[in-house]
Amino acid sequence: MFEIHCPYCNEKRSEIEFAYAGEAHYVRPTAQEQTEMSDEDWSRYMFIRDNIRGEHAERWWHNSGCNMFFNAIRDTVTDKFVMTYKMGQPRRTETQIEAARKNNAEQKAKS
Amino acid sequence: MSFDQAIDIPEIFDADDLRVTLLKEKARYSLRLKSQDVTAIKKASGLKLPAKIMGSTRTKDIICAKLGPDEWIVIADPTQKVKLDKTLAKVSKEFTCSITEISHRNVGFEISGSEAAQLINVGCPMDLSLDKFPVGKAVRTLFESASILLIRTDEHSFHLECWRSFGPYLRDFFARVISTR
Ligand SMILES: [Zn+2]
Repeated sequence: MFEIHCPYCNEKRSEIEFAYAGEAHYVRPTAQEQTEMSDEDWSRYMFIRDNIRGEHAERWWHNSGCNMFFNAIRDTVTDKFVMTYKMGQPRRTETQIEAARKNNAEQKAKS
Repeated sequence: MSFDQAIDIPEIFDADDLRVTLLKEKARYSLRLKSQDVTAIKKASGLKLPAKIMGSTRTKDIICAKLGPDEWIVIADPTQKVKLDKTLAKVSKEFTCSITEISHRNVGFEISGSEAAQLINVGCPMDLSLDKFPVGKAVRTLFESASILLIRTDEHSFHLECWRSFGPYLRDFFARVISTR
C-alpha cells in the first residue's frame, strides 16, 4: 500500500481511496468539431492513447475522499507519483517535473 | 419503532476503555454549493458551514462538515428537522445549488474511549494521531471497503457514519474485533 497526495484535500491519503481515470490533458472536441471531423480522427480521440513508459500525465479520482478529479505525473515503470495538481491547470513541463523530483528526494532525505 | 431499530443494530459494546454506541435517528442533508454563495447561504440558513475542507463545526444539535471543495453534510437532531427542511427548501429556491435530504441514508456510531482510535484503525488506514487528525477534523474515507464519514469529536471520541445497508456489516465487524481483544 502507498499514499497519494490529493491537491484538494492537500494531504496524503491511502491509495485505496483513489481510482485511476485515464490519460490527462485529453481535450474533448467541441460539438462543432465533432460534426466536422473524420471518423478516423474521432476514433483516434476515443480509443488511441500514447501508453507512455515512464513519466505519464494522468487523471486520478479521489472517489472515496473529497470526490474530486485531479491530475498526476506518475512513473509507469516504478509506479511512483512525482506530483499531483488540480484539474484545469496546464500540463507540467519537464523543468517542473524535474524540480518536483528533486523536492521529493530532499523531503525523503529529511524524514 | 424508529428507523434505526428497524435494522436491529443494538448498542453493541461498553467497557472502560472502549464504548461503541449506535446513534439515535438523525436529520441529514447533503449540500453542494457554489463557493461565491456560501457566505450568503450561511446567513440565510443560520448553519455554521465550515470554510476549510475536512473541517467541521458542532453545536448542541447540529454538526456541519465540509467533505469536498463544494460539498457539505449537515447532521442534526431530529427536533431540528421541520425547521431545517423549511429553511433549506427556501435556500434551494434562492440559490443555484443542490440540497438533498438524506436522513435515512446513513447510520451513525459513536466510538469512544482510550482504545477508540485503535478500533477504527483496524479497518481504516487514516492516521489518527492527534496532530494529523485533530479534534473537529471530518473526512470521508473507507472502513474495510465501506465508505464512511469520520469526525473526531474529542481526543478519545469519534462520530462514524456509513450508508445504512453497511450498518450491520460494520456492527458485526466491530463486534468481531472486540471479541478477539
Ligand atoms: Zn481529496
